[in-house]
Amino acid sequence: MLAYTEKIRDIAGRLLKDCRVDLVVGFRRGSMPMMNEPCFVTRADEVDQLVWDGNCGINLANYLTKRTEKIAVVAKGCDSRNIVTHIIENQIKREQLVIIGVPCTGMLDKRRIKQTAPGEVTAVVEEGDQVTVSGEGFSETHARADLLQANCAVCRHRNPVVYDELVGEAVPEQTGVDRYADVRAIEEMALEERWQHFEELLAPCLRCYACRNACPLCYCPTCFVDESMPQWVGKSQNPVDVRTFHFLRAYHCAGRCTDCGACERACPVGINMRVFTKKLERDAYEQWGWEAGLSPDQRPPLDTYRPDDPEGFIK
Amino acid sequence: MTCIKIDKQQWAAGLAAAEKAYRLLGPVRQGAIHNFAPLAPGQTPDLDCLNTRVSARGVVYPQSEVLFEYTLDERQPDAHILKETPPPDARAAIAVRPCDAYSFVLVRRNFEAPDVQDTYWLRNYAATTFVGLACDRPCATCFCTSTGCGPYHEEGLDVLLVDEEDHYLAKVITDKGAALLAAAGWQETADDDAEARIAGRRSTAEARITSRVNTDGLADASQLDLYEADFWEDVAFACINCGTCTYLCPTCWCFDIQDETRGRQGIRVRNWDSCMFPLFTLHGSGHNPRGQKVQRVRQRFMHKLKYYVDKYGDGIQCVGCGRCVQYCPVNIDIRKVCERMNSFGQDAACKVA
Amino acid sequence: MGVEPGRVHFSWVSSAESTKFVDVVKQVTEAVRAQGPNQNFVKKELKVA
Repeated sequence: MLAYTEKIRDIAGRLLKDCRVDLVVGFRRGSMPMMNEPCFVTRADEVDQLVWDGNCGINLANYLTKRTEKIAVVAKGCDSRNIVTHIIENQIKREQLVIIGVPCTGMLDKRRIKQTAPGEVTAVVEEGDQVTVSGEGFSETHARADLLQANCAVCRHRNPVVYDELVGEAVPEQTGVDRYADVRAIEEMALEERWQHFEELLAPCLRCYACRNACPLCYCPTCFVDESMPQWVGKSQNPVDVRTFHFLRAYHCAGRCTDCGACERACPVGINMRVFTKKLERDAYEQWGWEAGLSPDQRPPLDTYRPDDPEGFIK
Repeated sequence: MTCIKIDKQQWAAGLAAAEKAYRLLGPVRQGAIHNFAPLAPGQTPDLDCLNTRVSARGVVYPQSEVLFEYTLDERQPDAHILKETPPPDARAAIAVRPCDAYSFVLVRRNFEAPDVQDTYWLRNYAATTFVGLACDRPCATCFCTSTGCGPYHEEGLDVLLVDEEDHYLAKVITDKGAALLAAAGWQETADDDAEARIAGRRSTAEARITSRVNTDGLADASQLDLYEADFWEDVAFACINCGTCTYLCPTCWCFDIQDETRGRQGIRVRNWDSCMFPLFTLHGSGHNPRGQKVQRVRQRFMHKLKYYVDKYGDGIQCVGCGRCVQYCPVNIDIRKVCERMNSFGQDAACKVA
Repeated sequence: MGVEPGRVHFSWVSSAESTKFVDVVKQVTEAVRAQGPNQNFVKKELKVA
């Protein structure tokens, strides 16, 4: 995946020189281990700042909504599906985009790496399918597959579903992954246990909205939690309001979420809130055979009516 | 200045004694992170914590703070009467890092202005005794020594604890600190060269800080020129307008006040707010002077690194704790922005000269 | 999420189906009442300390 950097720079340089796009949205090297910073490049002589590695977990489709320019965007599998969703939802036109597709082998879970390292991590180096994590007095090499973000470990769409350029050979899709083990684990809990589980999960939540804002699907001009006339959800640190924000946001992403993991990656206090969207994703898959963003020609299930839609729950 | 020696065997017992006179708060483990929280009776703070995820500012300035409650139900004897929050009881924040402690000094200037004082913040602050824990293992992202404080800095603290393996040295900084140590029964004077040892450890700790940020050009830079600088679009692009930097920051202070009602009863509550949120500056008229992301991002850094510098003449509104650097989801790094702003001022000065 | 299934009901009722509407409202009211007072999703007010 590291060879992609050169390819991305070449493509970006060419697109800018030929004036095919006004800007290229990609990542530049971050100021700390395991972090890259989304950036935009408007000149061909600036493309050398663009990089690609296992720390590109933020979803760049987040930066496209309602833009009017011609944009080249670097997109891995999940990101490309969000771009498809943007197109279906009229947030951007396909003609505006040059999609630089990245076949992805997964992003590194920086939180897990930091927590399991014996000390402060000062360097993380990827080499093929090995990752070396080092700091003062330690250096450990792991298999890359052991350090992936939770969503990447169960990903079934690593290759971009739509693209104009591809920076490398398609990678084999993972087979036999159990996407919903975490959802089932909760469903097997008794009712009271489930309530407690979510109380504990959401206890550290600060209502910073990093999860919502990192999500490409959350582009409403005024989010329901920010409405004040009428006010739907309280703004204080009341556990009921916190829970309402999370599960209602998940409902707004039902049938649209591609499990890109940007929400969990963004959270400053380490909440694994993907469990909400995973549950709805599984329902969409089992009820309607639906996976979000695979094709711009398919209307989403919440948008369409079929006479044979399952309705066993309706009396 | 007195130095007390606290044998670690006496630590829990001392806290239990202090608990009779003070409500204790300290860093506690919450899942994979630490945060400041009230200590349960008998609970000791987790001193393995490098720093709490959210800063200690919640000790004095909680994220949600009820200001008063009321009922409009005329069947109640206290209908239409504002019931205000009672004044705080004495509390002690144990194991505050010097960076967080110094932040209270910076923030106090805002809440204790000559013409208007924030009663809530000030009385909470006055009621709190700050027992600091000196920092021997700064992180790669710590830059406290560039902001006017440091791993052993004493401003904002009443006592500074220094860890010497089987005991703590407790440097008494104020009378409030002495009172707390007395209440805890920690009265054994440390030996004569304790101060010298602390000074030595301080130098070692400060030398371990590798991140340095230049701020010397900020005061002289032209506010207007900095505001109009061409680098803000580049700085702001990645920002996703969340409140992570604001809510983790010890020196942020903005809030939103609103009423929450249920039937005829209500409370007025103040909650932390963030200038990064798009609706932060939304006027009642519908106009929003900072409706664009670049305006908000610029505002944050101008406030922290320029307006505060100009207003108080005592350095930047930042203590170098590094939380925003570590937890910004998109790695917008205040150190890089500060260098850009700092050298902008100096470049301009060169051009003029 | 831990909310009792008996509290949430779905039904298709047209504004022309007045009898059905009455029946559904009665049924749902009884079913929810049988669950007892709701303990979850009840905001405990922030009180003055």
